[in-house]
Amino acid sequence: MSKEELSRVDENLTLETDESRRDFLDKFSKGIFGGLIAGGIVNALAPVQARADMDGSNLNFAEPFKPFDLPPAIPGEDVILRMMRDLQRALKKPIEQRHWNMVIDLRKCVGCDACSVSCAAENKLPPGVIYRPVIQQEIGSYPNVGHVTLPRPCMQCDEPPCVPVCPAQATWKRPDGIVIVDYDQCIGCRYCLNACPYDARTFDFGMEYIDGAADAPKVFLGKEKAGKYETEASYEYEKEWKREDDKSPIGNARKCHFCIPRIEKGMLPECVVTCIGRATYFGDGSDPDSLVAELIASPNAFRLKEEVGTHPSVYYIK
Amino acid sequence: MTREKMGNILVWILIIGFGVWGFQGMVDRFANGHVNTAYGSYIPWGLWISAYIWLIGLSAGALMISVMTYVFNVKAVKKVGKMAFLVAIATLVGAMMSVGIDLGHPLRAFKLIYDPNLSSMMGWMAVLYSAYFVTLCIELYFAIRKEQVRGEKQKAIKKILVVLGIWSIPLAFAFHGGVGGVFANVIAKPYWHGPMLPVVFLAGAFLSGGALFCTVAYIWRPAQSKDEFLKMMIFLGKTTLALLILDEILELSEVYVGTFYSAFGEGHLWQQILFGHYWYVFWIVHILIGVLIPLFLLTAKAKSPGAVALAGLLIAGSFLAVRLNIVIPGMLDPELKGIADAWVNSKLTFSYLPSVMEWQALLFIVAVVMAVFMIGKKILPIYQTAGEE
Ligand code: SF4
Ligand code: SF4
Repeated sequence: MSKEELSRVDENLTLETDESRRDFLDKFSKGIFGGLIAGGIVNALAPVQARADMDGSNLNFAEPFKPFDLPPAIPGEDVILRMMRDLQRALKKPIEQRHWNMVIDLRKCVGCDACSVSCAAENKLPPGVIYRPVIQQEIGSYPNVGHVTLPRPCMQCDEPPCVPVCPAQATWKRPDGIVIVDYDQCIGCRYCLNACPYDARTFDFGMEYIDGAADAPKVFLGKEKAGKYETEASYEYEKEWKREDDKSPIGNARKCHFCIPRIEKGMLPECVVTCIGRATYFGDGSDPDSLVAELIASPNAFRLKEEVGTHPSVYYIK
Repeated sequence: MTREKMGNILVWILIIGFGVWGFQGMVDRFANGHVNTAYGSYIPWGLWISAYIWLIGLSAGALMISVMTYVFNVKAVKKVGKMAFLVAIATLVGAMMSVGIDLGHPLRAFKLIYDPNLSSMMGWMAVLYSAYFVTLCIELYFAIRKEQVRGEKQKAIKKILVVLGIWSIPLAFAFHGGVGGVFANVIAKPYWHGPMLPVVFLAGAFLSGGALFCTVAYIWRPAQSKDEFLKMMIFLGKTTLALLILDEILELSEVYVGTFYSAFGEGHLWQQILFGHYWYVFWIVHILIGVLIPLFLLTAKAKSPGAVALAGLLIAGSFLAVRLNIVIPGMLDPELKGIADAWVNSKLTFSYLPSVMEWQALLFIVAVVMAVFMIGKKILPIYQTAGEE
């Protein structure tokens, strides 16, 4: 077993011990605090009880994947098909034996923002929350200038600085490499936002696109109708998250999660399928036959800010 | 009218003024969440976090005074121990409120007390503040009790106070150095990251808290005789002066290292602090009001209690500017160049000026701090010294 695999199994084990500890503390707290504190304080502790079913077990080990038919490989086919086959192969393995990687070919990215927009639509992102902005930059000086476009998802770092800083144990790395946020545990302190060296986390301030919009019922399609989108639930981490009052994910740190609900069903992340330049690739980096493993091995592949020691799971090709 | 009475009236006017105007900010915070704050996702911490470290620093500084009373038996501050505990408790309450309203889900923070992530410095904070709060309450209880009993019992309580006082020394170092650690541990922010910050935080805490106590002791005079009072004020003034000099040496060293080769690391951030948009925060609020004037008062007028008290007030009040200049500049640099323009929203920018509601909420918290102190002073026998042997 390679060192990397070992560390992933290790993480898995840690998660399990964590679970039993959480279980114990949960019972302990219910016993002690439940008996002592009434009224408003019990309300304050209510989120704690939610931990029993949000301790990560339901997030890490989803229902077993049901494979579906894909056409056989043919020369010149769309890479999407190959990546879907790679995905199916990976999903048949135990979670700790796969490691999701993303590769973004900067030579092919045209900076159209389609991935940012489709991600926002998939995850019902409110204003101010963005998982995958596309950075555009002029480089060089006149007359030798160039233009770089760089989509920036969460790097799903193998050494994520955002994880240890979380005071509430609300964010951790899954055995398959994805760093997740448990919205029900996150207290919204935004420490992880500061700790991320890629500015990959944003805070859900509870803003709405229709804030300040005019409303004139029966005269034109006003705020209320247009605002339907705002209250649509998102299904991140395979749970329904309705945007109402101050409930999570409002008041939480949010970030790209490689579209867990999609990949667990055998679908590629939304940004991968909407990329008009086919510049974004996704798959199991620990499978030597996968497309991403091939691309990662190319000599012009690199990762952002290697010097900070985060070991990102996202590679770029230039 | 006595000074104490005038002080009481003035402080109650401030409590009502700040409370009423500030209440609006609190209502906004709880009705609209964080929408009307000026911080965002790229500058995630703002005025409230700065105010939290300011207030918790004041608390640690006040604790230091009580340690002088009960552990080191410093005669000049013999009578102020209980008042120091009260100041420490009031400012701790304020600090917790300030960090509380800054959270996205404040009520969930209670779970940190019994199930924190101990690999997070912030997780430690929850444990340490709880321990600190409990320690302060117990210490205050025994400090009051000590004056009410005599003989063997009093001796026993004195011993307990010494033990608690000794325990609170590492506790103060841990919780305030730890706050420095919250920032210093962040490798993504070169301006914060480094081993000096926890030390700087501690020095600042002792300075600002000690300074605040000069003012408190001047107005409410826990020492009774004139001679005793003068000695106390001179001692507090000298201590504050020494801490001010130490703090300035540390600051000078930071500025010097930060700016010497300005092409590297955080040099440009120092440029912004010193000569940028908000230059006046450093030069006027901090250097002029918080350092130079107090320096003059504490040296040329060291024997005048009024001057010492004024110096203390200026240092303690303006220390919020020092805290702001630690917190905000650290976040001004985008992690990736060009990210600010990649997705446009008011919460995705790299500039920050606290909004009116942030100031209002802070003033409300300051009003609460003052009210806790005033009420505590009224209902607890802070002045009682009868029974001392
Ligand atoms: S890119 Fe940022 S948010 Fe994502 S895993 Fe790395 S440190 Fe965490
Ligand atoms: S914002 Fe949430 S996920 Fe991030 S550090 Fe705070 S509690 Fe943890």
